[in-house]
Amino acid sequence: MIRTSLTLAAGLLAATAADAHETAGRHGGRVADAGDFHVELVTRGETVDVYVSDGTQAPVPVAGFRGTAILVAGGKAARVPLEPADGNRLTGKAPAALGDRPKGAVQLAAPDGATVSGKFN
Amino acid sequence: MSTRLAAALGAMAPLAAVLAGSALAHEGHDHGAAPPPVSKTIAPRGEALSETFELVAVPRDGTLTLFLDRFRTNEPVTGATIDVETPDGPKTATATPEGGYALTAPWMSAPGRHEFVATVTAGGDVDVLTVAVAVPDPSGRAAAAPAEPSPGRAALSRVSEVAQGVRARLGQKDPTLVGAVVVAFLLGMLVTGLARGRRSVPAVALLAIGITLVFGTAAFAHGDEDHGPAVQGAALTEPRPSGSSDLAQRLPDGSVFVPKPTQRLLVLRTTMTEQGRFHRAVELPGRIIPDPNASGVVQSSVGGRLSPPASGLFPRLGTRVRRGEVLATVTPPIQAVDLSDMRQTQGDLDQQISIVERRVDRYRRLALTGAVAQTQLDDALAEFKGLQDRRAALDRIRREPEPLVSPVDGVVAQAAAVAGQMASPGQMVFQIVDPNRLWVEALSFDALTAAQDATARLADGRLLTLAYQGSGLADRNQAIPVQFAVQGDASGLRVGQFVTVLAATDREQAGLALPRAAVVRTGNGQDVVYEHTSAERFEARPVRVEPLDGGRVLVAEGMGPGRRVVTQGAELLDQVR
Repeated sequence: MIRTSLTLAAGLLAATAADAHETAGRHGGRVADAGDFHVELVTRGETVDVYVSDGTQAPVPVAGFRGTAILVAGGKAARVPLEPADGNRLTGKAPAALGDRPKGAVQLAAPDGATVSGKFN
Repeated sequence: MSTRLAAALGAMAPLAAVLAGSALAHEGHDHGAAPPPVSKTIAPRGEALSETFELVAVPRDGTLTLFLDRFRTNEPVTGATIDVETPDGPKTATATPEGGYALTAPWMSAPGRHEFVATVTAGGDVDVLTVAVAVPDPSGRAAAAPAEPSPGRAALSRVSEVAQGVRARLGQKDPTLVGAVVVAFLLGMLVTGLARGRRSVPAVALLAIGITLVFGTAAFAHGDEDHGPAVQGAALTEPRPSGSSDLAQRLPDGSVFVPKPTQRLLVLRTTMTEQGRFHRAVELPGRIIPDPNASGVVQSSVGGRLSPPASGLFPRLGTRVRRGEVLATVTPPIQAVDLSDMRQTQGDLDQQISIVERRVDRYRRLALTGAVAQTQLDDALAEFKGLQDRRAALDRIRREPEPLVSPVDGVVAQAAAVAGQMASPGQMVFQIVDPNRLWVEALSFDALTAAQDATARLADGRLLTLAYQGSGLADRNQAIPVQFAVQGDASGLRVGQFVTVLAATDREQAGLALPRAAVVRTGNGQDVVYEHTSAERFEARPVRVEPLDGGRVLVAEGMGPGRRVVTQGAELLDQVR
């Protein structure tokens, strides 16, 4: 009994220290807040992938979403239109390779017309 | 014994649950957070910050006006290109004569939350900024919160509120909290007792949490806490008549709201505070003195009557004179007794000259025949010449005045010459000062050990850079005179002018250096600086300042590094009501 209570109390106390949010995403990209969503930006060469999840990191199906990524690479801003691919992934192609960790922003338009945006530094 | 321990643990669990709530709703991760509340009379607006830029977006009457400024200095950025990602595709904002950028954006008129991405290109700087604007519902309904929180999140936020209350009360040793803890303990004891009977531990633990939450909520819901911040938000921005502009105003929380167009009118500029180590400065009263090596006085060595030089005019004040230039002449007066003496000598000399002249004539004739020796003729000639010289000198002394010449190049700083005036020996007739070479003499009560940096502040706020020259050892008015040379442009200074000298001492002090104009003395005598907290908000921060140099003060306390502080226009900001 005491041990159970102790475990419960310890677990709850440990929860106070836990962080609900980390900046590294599960697809190896960077995560930013965009409205109610979390967006994870993954850039490989010219390909831009954006994974959408909700506040609890659960994937959000992106059918009907539209998106735009504006990323700064080499002192120039590249506008990348994003199309829904599969599951919670939107994808697009940049005109040139984007390099490592380009800064910029991702704007998403949900099917209901609401727009949200997330910023990556 | 074990019952009591278990009860303690049981009581701990609910408390831990309460504390856990606040950790989950951690800061900086507030999904769909409303922009900071402004006032009902201010149009809805959004802002975005980056390391380089600060962007403010104001939708009004179907037009989106963007104001772009430098983040650190608050300087308006002109000539930039702003591409806005709209629902109809990318559009470029056009520059307006007011220094902003405008874009027709009918989509921004719809009530609700609008987010857009703006790509800013200014010179070599490219930045992507995300801006969110919450447009209230014009029908008068309070604009709904941008995102309806899920029940789970609502519960968590409730718990977090309670936890914050607990923390506040812990700080105050609130009796209500103490009571709550005691009751929680008793409840824990009770449920532990029950659990012993039934052996259903998880259910009991949940019960404990539930009871404590309900109890805690009931206990903390009343009272006089200020729940204001929780209900502030986008709801406070109400629709306002179209076409009217926003006014700078002091908000209820004491901060000052200044819309961007007004900021530009007031020329508000900021700087980023940086921690540094500075030599402490002491303020000394000082006076401008002429450089002793580049100034001089013109004095008469004899008493006499002043008369103008050959040009016929005495040099007036401000006249530029060169070294060796004759500024005036002094004709010594001849006393009556001297005059009779001179006349007597003159008569004597004239008599002797005529005698010797005749003797020389006679000797010259006789020397040819050899009756007089050549040596006698030579002696007579020498005597004749000597007498003539003495006579000439007598004439010259009566006629020739003493010229007064300028000892240095410079400007006449003081002139006391009037034609016909009698000058006494040693009297200063002119003072010549080189206006580009001035010194400052300050009185210091501490011995300044090789004061490295010093500046002087004039009454009109002008600053002079000073170079330490030396300090005396002899007390003057119980202080030591310290001399500095004025470096650089010294025009407009006058000798004798009072200045405040700020001399650095060896003692070092850490703090933030801010321009003197950044610190404002408020009505209650407190020194404040205005921090630029968000794009259009300024908050007064009371600070303790200490003298640093003529142009800057040291903020010793009240402000941290890495903040934006208004350095220009702070006085105007302080007048906003």
